[in-house]
Formats: sequence, C-alpha cells, structure tokens
Amino acid sequence: MFITMETPAEPTIKKTAVSCRGVTKTYGQGNAAVQALRGVDLEVRLGELLMLVGPSGCGKTTLLSVLAGLLQRDGGDCSVLDHDYKQTSGKETTRFRGRNIGFVFQAFNLIPTLTAAENVATPLLINGAKRRAALEQAGAVLTKVGFDERMVRSLPADLSGGQQQRVAVARAMVHEPRMFVCDEPTSALDSESGHMVMTLMRQFALGTDRVLVVVTHDARIFEFADRIARMEDGRITRIENPPGRRNEPPQNP
Amino acid sequence: MNFIALKMLFGDRTKYAGLLFGITFTSFLVTFAASYFGGMMTRSFALIAENPRADVWVMDAAMVAVDRPINLPASALDRVRSVAGVQSAVPLALAQADARFPNGRFQSFQVIGVDDATLTGVPEMKGGATAAVLRAPDAVIVDPGGTSGKLATPLLKADQWPRGRPHLEVPMRPLIVGDELLINDNRVRVAGQSQALPRFPPRPLLFTTYSTAERILLPERRRLTFVLATAAPGVDAHMLADRIEAATDLRARSSDDFESDTVHWMIANSEDVGDAVTMLSIAMLVGFGVTGVMMFMFTTENLKYYAVLNAMGASTRTLLIMICVQSALCALLGTGLGLGLCALAGRVFVSFDFPYRMMWFAPVVGGSAVVLVSIGAAAFSVRPILKMQPASFLAGR
Repeated sequence: MFITMETPAEPTIKKTAVSCRGVTKTYGQGNAAVQALRGVDLEVRLGELLMLVGPSGCGKTTLLSVLAGLLQRDGGDCSVLDHDYKQTSGKETTRFRGRNIGFVFQAFNLIPTLTAAENVATPLLINGAKRRAALEQAGAVLTKVGFDERMVRSLPADLSGGQQQRVAVARAMVHEPRMFVCDEPTSALDSESGHMVMTLMRQFALGTDRVLVVVTHDARIFEFADRIARMEDGRITRIENPPGRRNEPPQNP
Repeated sequence: MNFIALKMLFGDRTKYAGLLFGITFTSFLVTFAASYFGGMMTRSFALIAENPRADVWVMDAAMVAVDRPINLPASALDRVRSVAGVQSAVPLALAQADARFPNGRFQSFQVIGVDDATLTGVPEMKGGATAAVLRAPDAVIVDPGGTSGKLATPLLKADQWPRGRPHLEVPMRPLIVGDELLINDNRVRVAGQSQALPRFPPRPLLFTTYSTAERILLPERRRLTFVLATAAPGVDAHMLADRIEAATDLRARSSDDFESDTVHWMIANSEDVGDAVTMLSIAMLVGFGVTGVMMFMFTTENLKYYAVLNAMGASTRTLLIMICVQSALCALLGTGLGLGLCALAGRVFVSFDFPYRMMWFAPVVGGSAVVLVSIGAAAFSVRPILKMQPASFLAGR
C-alpha cells in the first residue's frame, strides 16, 4: 500500500523550464562544416526572462532555434518544458510548438494580406479554434496591447514598426504559450517602441509558469532581463544579472 | 487555415490575376478546341442526323463511315425489306460529281439520290418549298453544305453558256429556281434550295431522285449506297440492325451507332483531329506554364510566411492543404470564366457558321485539363514548402 503525501511547493525555488547540457549543433559537412553550438549548458527557470547576447555568429539564434524545436540538436541533452524534441516525431514537435511556444521575430513576419486581428488569430486557428472565436480573442489581446478598433482592422503595411511588433507580440501570446522565444524583437524599432514592446512582454507574456528567452544585441533593453547569458563561439561563457533591472511583477495575460 | 490561405491568395492581386488568367486560358482554349471538334464531328454525320426517320442504316459490310461509300447491289433493298421487323426500307445513293455551271466553271458536288416514291432524305427546304419539287423531270435541289460563294452563276445572260472559254471573272448571283447545270453532260434544273446541316468537310450538296441520280451519274454496276430501314412499331432499332445483319450479311447499324462509328473513323483518320489535339496540347502547355510559374512564384514569395506558420505549429500537411485550396479556388474560378468565355465565343462562331458545338464532353474535357494543370502547378510549387527550414527565417532572413 502506498501512502502519498502532498508537500507544498517551495515558494522560493522556481521550477526549471529549460535545461540543456552539452548541446552541440553543426551545419554542413566535411570541410564546409561549421560548429554553431559547442556544448551549451543552460538552465532557465519558469517566470524568468533570459536574454541571450553575444557577437554575430556566436550561435544565439541557433540555440534559440534548438530551444524552440525548429532545429534538431546534434548532441547533448535538452529538455524544454519537460519535453525532449529528440524523443518525439516531427509532427509531435510541430504540435508542441503550436501549443507551447510563442514566437516574436526581428522582421515581425506578419502576413501582409491579413489584418492585425487576423494575424493575431493565426496561432488560434492553427490550434483548431473557430474563426469567429479566434478573431474575438485576437481583438481582445490587441486591445490589451493598446490597439483601438480601427487599428485592429488595419493591414500591417498601414501600421508603424512599433505597432507591427506589438501585433507580433499579441500573436505570440494569444494562445497563452508557456515559452516565448524572441529573436532581436527590438532591433528594428526606435528606443521608445523597443521599451514599449519589452514592457508589454514582461507585463503580459511573462508569468509565474512561463518563460521568455530573448536573443538581442540591443543593450537598451538589457534592463528588462532577469538574467543575461553571454555567448561566444558557440558556448555560454557567462551568466550575469543585468544592471538596473526593471521589476514589473509578471502577470498572466 | 483555409481562410488564411484564401486571404493570402486574394491579397496578392498580380499573381492572383496571373493564376486566374492561366487557368482561364487553359479552360477556354481546351473547351473551345473540344467544342470545335464536337462541331466538326457533328457535321461529319450530318447526313445521318438529317434522316431521323431511318432507324437502321444498311450498307456494305466493309463500310465504316457515312462518307466512305461502298455501293451495294440493287437486290439489297429487297433483301432488307424481307427481314421481319422492317416496316419500310428505301434506297439512298451517294456519289461525287462535277457540275458545270452556266459560265463554264466546274464545281464538285456530293450527289444524294433519294427514294423516288417517298423522297426520304431531302432536308428542310428554303422559301416554303417542299421536297415534291423533285418530282419534276431533271429536277435537283442545291445546298451550300457549309460552303459559301460556291453556288453562284453569271448575272448576265450574255455570260451564260458561252462558246469557247469560260466566263469566270464576271458579275455573279446566287443560283435560283430555274437555273440549269450540266452533270456529265446531262442537263439538270434547279428546283429549289435546301437548308441541310453543314457538312464536314464543307462541300456543296445536290439532292435529286434516285432515278435521276442513276441517269446523270457516270454508269456504275452498283449505285445503291444505303438502305434506310424503319423499324416496325415495338421493334428496337439495335435489335433490328442485328436481325438485318444476320439475315443479309450486310452491315446494319442503328442511327446512333452509325453516328458513333463515323466519329470514331474521323478521330482515327482525319488530319483535323491532329490539329485539334495540337491545339489542346498547346493550350495545356501554355496554361501549365503560366499557372505553374505563377503558383511557384506565389509560393516562393510567401515561403517566409509559410515558414512562420510552420514555426507557429502549422504542420506541413496543413501548409500543403493551403496550397491545394489556393489552387482549387483558382481552378474553379478559372474554369467558370473559361467556360463562360467559350460560350460567348461559341455564339459568335456559330453566327459565322463555323463548326462549333459545345457538347457535354467539352466542359468535362476543359475541366479535366484545368484539374491536371492545377495539380501540376500545385505539385510544382509544394517543393519549396517541403524543402523549407523554418529556422532560417527566425532571424529576419
């Protein structure tokens, strides 16, 4: 007979969202082979915003792609939200991404022929939501990020860069994923827009059971990070706390 | 996701228009070629269609098509009449003859000799006349048979039946009742003009009685080409045809079957069929070229967005379905536009008396061609989707 006892979770110890040990990734073969990741060790906890920084070509985007399940690692161990991509089929990985990961891209990558609301509704449609319900939910999220009725129906081309990135943020969080991956989310924006986007992400995307991984060169937004992981030559060389960190409490969207 | 696929398609108006143009062009040209072919084939069996009273056509056992006459002995008529289930049987003679016009010009005619008693085989007449005009001595009925300007005679008496050289470059007028022609030095008198179905290939027609045909045509041991049998009430035409074949050793075909035989013979032997096939092939190639390239360009230009959708959780299967939906919609709209254009073009063509007939198979052929082109175009453009790496688009590349 087994007796189970419920032990309350330790409030000060956060659960691990991402755990990587010795992750490697090589592009190409033979003489043309380029080793992008050379044994990355990384842990990211739930409720944390981690920034990956480093010079171009150091492997930041490759690591982000591995964490998001867009690239398969060559070696090492890596668990994302208790999920190991190597143990699942491509179809299952795609489904996992659709439910658990929100993407924010440097170039926004909004579909130009869809309105802001339709772009935001896309992840919901991918996950099988009905169009009307998806559009209603998308409109609500866009209102949260400061869009009015007219802007909700605007095409991306009619929006400024900052507004487009807000749409991209809304799209990333509309289906309430547990992990956000953002690649240079502010590099195409001015300082004010960049700050607004990062504020939105901290406010709405980050929660106690969620994690945000941001690849960036933009030192203006370091203050939004909980921790900063510095990469060089395919390795994480240092993890540090950012100077003057902003302390907006995370809240669920 | 189909909603997104369609919004992506409609949003890129240039390529959408290009895709629609490609499909519409294919649909139009293929349906048009098929309809033109249908028109030609319909005209090829015009003689059969013009004789609805004939349930069964009896001919020489070696004959395969209506325009490839092999004559029968005269006794064939009585043999057919003696078969049980035949209500009536009449003779029909087909022959080629050169008629000399009053100005000395020669014109080739298809001579159709109909039964003297019943005049079965004479088509509808112009000007309210009846086939009975053929009962006059040496009477003939002329018909353009799909040609134009071939039934003309000199306007002036002075240019008619000239001595010496023919008067070819003189003012002309259409043949009218009372005009005379010479066939093998036999004088015949135009007793009327008919409105027969146009022939393929087009040629002027000359209807006369069987006995007049025997007299004016060059002597042959056998003159009878067909025996047209009418089935007795309650007797099926196909069954009667089988019975006639069994009893006479002649070839007997119901009207429907004989029309099909003629079309098959034309398909197998006519050079025009080759032209129609060439037209179809060009239409499909051009359509595939335009549609395939446009669809490929459309997919390639949107590859970044497909990669984003894939990153966000859309499976490759979903993306392929999106492309198929885009192709299918273009196919549907393009087919409709093509068929509509074809119907309009057909009206114009028919008004100019071109052989155009949109039969049931023409839209089917057009639609099938569009399906092939669309599948080809979609298959052509799914390759980039299958090959794409979503990760390569992550860093704004």
